Amino acid sequence: MARKDFLDIASLTREEVEYLLEQAVPFKDLFTRSVKKVPALKGKSVLMLFYEPSTRTHSSFEVAAKRMSADVIDLDVPQSSVTKGETVKDTVDTLQAMRADYIVVRHEMSGMPLAIARQTKASVINAGDGAHAHPTQGLLDAFTFKEVFPETDGRKVLIVGDILHSRVARSTSMVMRKLGVEVAFLGPGSLVPRDGTEGMRRFTDYEEAMKWSPDVVYLLRVQMERQDAQFFPSLGEYHRVYGVTQERLERLADKGTYIMHPGPVNRGVELCHEVMDYERSLINRQVENGIAARMAVLFWLKPGTGSEPPMTTE
Amino acid sequence: MNLILKGGEVAGEEGAPRRADVWVEDGVVKGVGEKIAAPDGVRVVDCAGKLVVPAMFDAHVHFREPGQEHKEDIAHGTEAAINGGVTGVVMMPNTNPAIDSAAVVRMVLEKAGEVSRIPVYTSGCITRNRAGAELAGIDGMRKLGVRMLTDDGDPVANPSVLMRAMEYASEFGMFFASHCEVAELSGPRALNLGRVSYQLGIKGSPACSEEICMDRDIRLAHAAGAHVHIQHVSSGIGMETIRFWKERGARVTAEVAPHHLMFNEDDIGEYDTNYKMNPPLRLAEDNAALLEGLKTGVFDQIATDHAPHSEFEKSQDFVTAPNGITGVETALVSLYDRFVRAGDFGWDLLVKRYSAEPRRLMGLDPVPVEEGKRAELLVFDPNGETTFSREFMKSKSVNTPFLDRTLQGRIEMVVAGDEILLER
Repeated sequence: MARKDFLDIASLTREEVEYLLEQAVPFKDLFTRSVKKVPALKGKSVLMLFYEPSTRTHSSFEVAAKRMSADVIDLDVPQSSVTKGETVKDTVDTLQAMRADYIVVRHEMSGMPLAIARQTKASVINAGDGAHAHPTQGLLDAFTFKEVFPETDGRKVLIVGDILHSRVARSTSMVMRKLGVEVAFLGPGSLVPRDGTEGMRRFTDYEEAMKWSPDVVYLLRVQMERQDAQFFPSLGEYHRVYGVTQERLERLADKGTYIMHPGPVNRGVELCHEVMDYERSLINRQVENGIAARMAVLFWLKPGTGSEPPMTTE
Repeated sequence: MNLILKGGEVAGEEGAPRRADVWVEDGVVKGVGEKIAAPDGVRVVDCAGKLVVPAMFDAHVHFREPGQEHKEDIAHGTEAAINGGVTGVVMMPNTNPAIDSAAVVRMVLEKAGEVSRIPVYTSGCITRNRAGAELAGIDGMRKLGVRMLTDDGDPVANPSVLMRAMEYASEFGMFFASHCEVAELSGPRALNLGRVSYQLGIKGSPACSEEICMDRDIRLAHAAGAHVHIQHVSSGIGMETIRFWKERGARVTAEVAPHHLMFNEDDIGEYDTNYKMNPPLRLAEDNAALLEGLKTGVFDQIATDHAPHSEFEKSQDFVTAPNGITGVETALVSLYDRFVRAGDFGWDLLVKRYSAEPRRLMGLDPVPVEEGKRAELLVFDPNGETTFSREFMKSKSVNTPFLDRTLQGRIEMVVAGDEILLER
């Protein structure tokens, strides 16, 4: 089944997720060849519309599109300040005139990619909107997870940190659950929502969470800067209570637990410095897999089908 | 004008509608009785199977004039009111400039006098430009008939400012209307804090933000000897807060909006901004508690918070899109469709809470369909239907969840004094 847009994980079926993950495998195999390019999207244009600064996701999409021979156009849009609807509508009208085939959108306002998708025939890919969704991150996380654990049902992932503000937590927990993976959250009470996380276990204590024996500990980036009223006292205290300290890393090694992180890592906060040498860290593999997963998404979508995008929430 | 509404049932504040003909002559109800013989030359309107109801009064509307006439103006707002069976309104003062002085009140009332076919009342600001600091020109507004003081849209953040205003203006026989919210708790004021806010990835506003301010304002009024009217209560605990203070004998009245009775956060779906208002839609259990509050008299009145916004403004992302939906022309039919038809309450409640009590709040006489009273009534066909299409609605804006929906019930005629304001 073809779709016009890729806006969230929630609206995908398990079959669609599995299909995309299978599609990503041959794309990843390309990366080890001398010629890494395929002509799949030759003559097609991919517009990059990043209203929020991003290095990793932006580069990842750009590489993915170029490896499929698409033309990549980076639109110079205002970043940092809240972009009002008028500007967005003007931009969308411009894009429509440019007849782009794919639009990759990142925006600080939740729901903006949907709003754009409803106004254009181009395929819209959500590259992260507010705290709502980051579906290609979810997909690449699932891809990475499945490489390590081909049988996903009954596996366990513990997501640690700022669940409240994290679109990654929403998309990654959603995609994991679609694959039959059990998901639990650990984080400060001020950063784990009380409602909306039904069906997921909630731990308040690191040691208790470890007794649950997760296969993967997925650490979220924690920031102090967005705190208008503090969510926790200090980064140091966060590290001691919820972070993977050196001592905790050693115990994870003993149990054979994997570590994932969407990057960039705040060393000394979510993770101790030693984690970069940790043999079961999947962090670099996530970056590589991100390109393959995004190629699979670009390959799957059918621009111009004009169907109203199905859309649910993460 | 001389007409007989024949064969219908007359609704009032007490009891079920009763069978009676109604004779209106020269703007006055000349007779109400089982069978009124029509003298020659009197127009007879067949009302068999229909209701003759006192016209409604909406004590909370935003008509956006002056300053935001692209959303609404007094001419369109009052026509929308008539279209909804409403023959009197109280405007909120969050216009631009705000209605915070005799000069702006005079301007608004003069404009209404020119363009409106129904009486328009306005509230006035508590503080200058609704900024929460200096007091507005209270005596000047009072002399022009302003009775309700409010900074609606925002609370008066500083409790000391509000308490002094209450102590000062209560001596003039004025009362206060409170939009309740603690700004620091409310985030971007987009939606309720809960499951939906998590799923949509938008910071939610907790019900306690409203409840804390509500409790604060009632306590301040209680201490200052003032009458405070709590606007658009959205939560069950908010309802209980008012009940508590009423039982304690505080001078508090309160209103509930139709949308808070009918909808909850699940209706937002995929960022539908026609379900975005402030206070936000909360939970199904809040809908139930508010209905209970309405039925038990905790809420003195129904008021719509008619808040027009242009389609462009509402088409923005959910956080940026402004708060509010229109209501004045959908309220009566939707309340009938949703509650009266289901037997949740009767016409007596609708008449009491959306016609009589809001008039009393404003110091006006109710308009019962009784012999010798001024004729101010509507004819309602419970078996008819209303489709809220763009063509049907008279407001300048169409930001309502009822857009293009067809509901049961139809307002067939609206009469005020010697004038038939509407006849379908």
